Amino acid sequence: MIEVIANFLPGYLARQRWFAGDEPEKVEVVDHEQMGERLSWLLVEADGARYQLLVTRTQEGIPEFLHGNDSALIGTADGVIYYDALVDPEAAIDLLHHLAPDEEVSRMRPMGGEQSNSSLVFDDRLVLKVFRRIHEGPNPDIEVTAALAEAGFPHVAAPVASWEHVGASLGVVQPFLCGGTDGWQLALTSLRDFYASELQDPAESGGDFAAEAERLGDVTARMHVALADALGRRPGEPEAWLALMEQQLERVASGREWEPQARQVLAQVRRLGDAAAVRVHGDYHLGQVLRADAGWFVLDFEGEPSRTLDERRQASSPAKDVAGMLRSFDYASMVAMRERPDTGRETHQQQARAWEQRNRQAFLDGYFDTRGLAELWPGDSDDVRAVLAAWELDKALYELGYERDHRPDWMEIPEAAISRLVSG
Amino acid sequence: MSQPLELADPRWYQHAVFYEVLVRGFFDSNDDGTGDLRGITDKLDYLEWLGVDCLWLLPFYQSPLRDGGYDISDFFTILPEYGDLGDAVMLVEEAHRRGIRIIADLVVNHTSDAHPWFQESRQNRTNPKADWYVWNDHDHRWSEARIIFVDTEKSNWTWDPVREQYYWHRFFSHQPDLNYDNPEVQQSMFDVIKFWLDIGLDGFRLDAVPYLYERDGTNGENLKETHDYLKRLRKEVDSQFPGRVLLAEANQWPSDVVDYYGDGDECHMCFHFPVMPRMFMAVRREQRFPVTEILAQTPAIPEGCQWGMFLRNHDELTLEMVTDEERDYMYTEYAKDPRMKRNVGIARRLAPLVDNDRRIAELLHAMLFSMPGSPILYYGDEIGMGDNIYLGDRDGVRTPMQWTPDRNAGFSKADFARLYLPVLMDPVYGYPAVNVEAELRDQSSLVHWMRRMIAIRKQHPLFGTGTFEVVNVDNPSVLAYVRQEDDDAVLCVNNLSRFAQPAELPLQQFAGRVPIELLGRVPFPRVGDLPYFVTLGPYAFYWFQLVEQP
Repeated sequence: MIEVIANFLPGYLARQRWFAGDEPEKVEVVDHEQMGERLSWLLVEADGARYQLLVTRTQEGIPEFLHGNDSALIGTADGVIYYDALVDPEAAIDLLHHLAPDEEVSRMRPMGGEQSNSSLVFDDRLVLKVFRRIHEGPNPDIEVTAALAEAGFPHVAAPVASWEHVGASLGVVQPFLCGGTDGWQLALTSLRDFYASELQDPAESGGDFAAEAERLGDVTARMHVALADALGRRPGEPEAWLALMEQQLERVASGREWEPQARQVLAQVRRLGDAAAVRVHGDYHLGQVLRADAGWFVLDFEGEPSRTLDERRQASSPAKDVAGMLRSFDYASMVAMRERPDTGRETHQQQARAWEQRNRQAFLDGYFDTRGLAELWPGDSDDVRAVLAAWELDKALYELGYERDHRPDWMEIPEAAISRLVSG
Repeated sequence: MSQPLELADPRWYQHAVFYEVLVRGFFDSNDDGTGDLRGITDKLDYLEWLGVDCLWLLPFYQSPLRDGGYDISDFFTILPEYGDLGDAVMLVEEAHRRGIRIIADLVVNHTSDAHPWFQESRQNRTNPKADWYVWNDHDHRWSEARIIFVDTEKSNWTWDPVREQYYWHRFFSHQPDLNYDNPEVQQSMFDVIKFWLDIGLDGFRLDAVPYLYERDGTNGENLKETHDYLKRLRKEVDSQFPGRVLLAEANQWPSDVVDYYGDGDECHMCFHFPVMPRMFMAVRREQRFPVTEILAQTPAIPEGCQWGMFLRNHDELTLEMVTDEERDYMYTEYAKDPRMKRNVGIARRLAPLVDNDRRIAELLHAMLFSMPGSPILYYGDEIGMGDNIYLGDRDGVRTPMQWTPDRNAGFSKADFARLYLPVLMDPVYGYPAVNVEAELRDQSSLVHWMRRMIAIRKQHPLFGTGTFEVVNVDNPSVLAYVRQEDDDAVLCVNNLSRFAQPAELPLQQFAGRVPIELLGRVPFPRVGDLPYFVTLGPYAFYWFQLVEQP
């Protein structure tokens, strides 16, 4: 059977969103295992990267869940249809029972919307995240989430079971936060309400987000304290961070008229002084936090996907996360504004700034009201502001590079932020 | 004789629609400018038409009326302006004849200082009722007990110059607390309750129950002794008057309130206080979390018990139950919201709270009628009455019921100046625009809509006693849940936003069933394995019965 499947793999991989690149010339099956009667597990290598596949088959025609789901179809040979087992509720439930034998479930639905892995929801109670591309070493998301849960930080979905193979993480089972919604959607809900009003002050608008932002700030601060307690404090390395920031500056902004001022702003990262470094979230924005009935939850500690595993596991300044979230408030306000045909209106520009300012301040109030941060930040509030500006600028420069490569007409978002940050 | 309604269903209160009536404000039968018990009897046909199952009467006892009748000076006498005992008996009989039950407000914690019990008690330290109230030589005992009416009271103790001692009061200083450590007091309150159940009342709304006892080193709320007394009260009521109901007013956090159900052997019902301001906040914020958060924190209740759910009542919007930091959601939201802040501490009616938006009023009622618990309507809200905040205190929401566009809103034939409070006359909410008569003639009026919703609710017992399960929706503006009991299942989908919204509902467990919209009985496309897609207009809601079809 493996041989049969192997023939289909180059074309199949090329159709997957989680596969980086064009159709590979060669796909090698590195390892495989039969999990029960209908479920096969394969580890394959293509273009130097490893992927895991879960395959099942049927002889009874195309099942309903494959209709309109062509990319899940691997191929047909001798009347047997081979397809991705993760779209098949029965096979997926078998897989979950295999990974978490104590859990009884009866329904599965795919979560959808993800790039690098696939998430399945069981009975709206458990979620199984299956990694598609397999890296060596521990998965930082599982590692950090488990450590935070163990340290008593309640704002993560503590793993119920994890799935590993020769030291590599294959998947994880976590509680599903039923009824939750991500911060990005919540922020857009607030912004749409605000833009549709004639109000200038977001505090007066019904969909005000500030109290949520403040609670999110508090959860973020407690996350940093818990990360420090669970995974250790290390000496901060402002010089090394600055060197990386300057490299990026040169990459994306070489020759821009504001480059000298940007350099000065970035240099302020030195004002971190001897504040400690800790494991951080690393890719912190509104899309990574989920509002559930029990408050805010932090998701996806994988770090920036473009970086190596070693880089992602390195300690950094919590300012990196805080700056990431502050940039996210700005993005939300601009993206919601761009939804509107009357985008250019000056009132909307003012509203966007007012919304961003209010929620930024509320987030920071919630963050710095939390105890236990002393070792992680400079003591002086001017230093804190300068350090945050440096990290925000660094993030905005990253965004500028990204937008230039992928969405040039969005460049104005980081451009506007950069011009604010460099002019103090 | 009144009919023995209780024999029909001893747990009627789990499926009942309650209606809160201000006796003073409902209908004036004798043209003296004040509503009365006969006036309520006169209007029972309207309440029956609406579908009301149980009236809750605000206090009707003899009282100096320094606290809206909650300062009782004689438990066995009707306030003369409201009528007499005969009127009460007639009201009960006429209501029962229509299948409507009646519960009455009863204050067990304290009396008026004009009550003969207190007048006797204060005379000296040795009289027969000397120990019926809580007396002390100094005023620093039980300093842990908070002062509830901080605006008017400086202490829970007040000096009595006659007895030359301090007396204890958790509310106004003219409302001394009864001493429940005294067995004679305990027995006297049993006697009061038996008296009213004997003439046919179907139960009581027990005012301010958490404060019956005082103990050193405690805040004097929710004490074990208080629960023990309520359990004995329940036992007495059940043994002699089965099918009557005790509804506790305990303005506390749900996890504390559930203690008033005991093991199903204390109060039958308790008000769910925190959900009410959160429903308004959910609509204002256009997201479901204010509501789902509190429902997630609401413990299960014992068999045979029920929550009392309401949107508005005769009191101000209160945040009193929010007591510590863990529970500060509403405080942070209100503190940040200038508009909501303005509404705290003043009484508002539903319609002005939602800017007179009919869609929001309907949405909130649809949620009220479909969330776990028995709904309690406040008189006048079913026609969209307004308020008059310039009347001060809580009078703003206690203006006369608006029956017709005629003189005094058809409430009374007395001279206008003699009315206990002026009827509303403003162009938006005034009686020429908002009144029962006009709405009855208009099939699309709010009151007709209410009647239809109540009727639908009654066709499905699951709204009273079914399970409640939130359906996962990514869109934060949509609140969806399934109520289920036996084979019946109803899916409720609510759009909290002023904009149209989409919702994808994972309904696999109901795959194959056909959703039938309950207001129009229109069948919707069958539920399949893929998420069920629904589009909702601004502030729209759907109730879908999920029907198995071959």
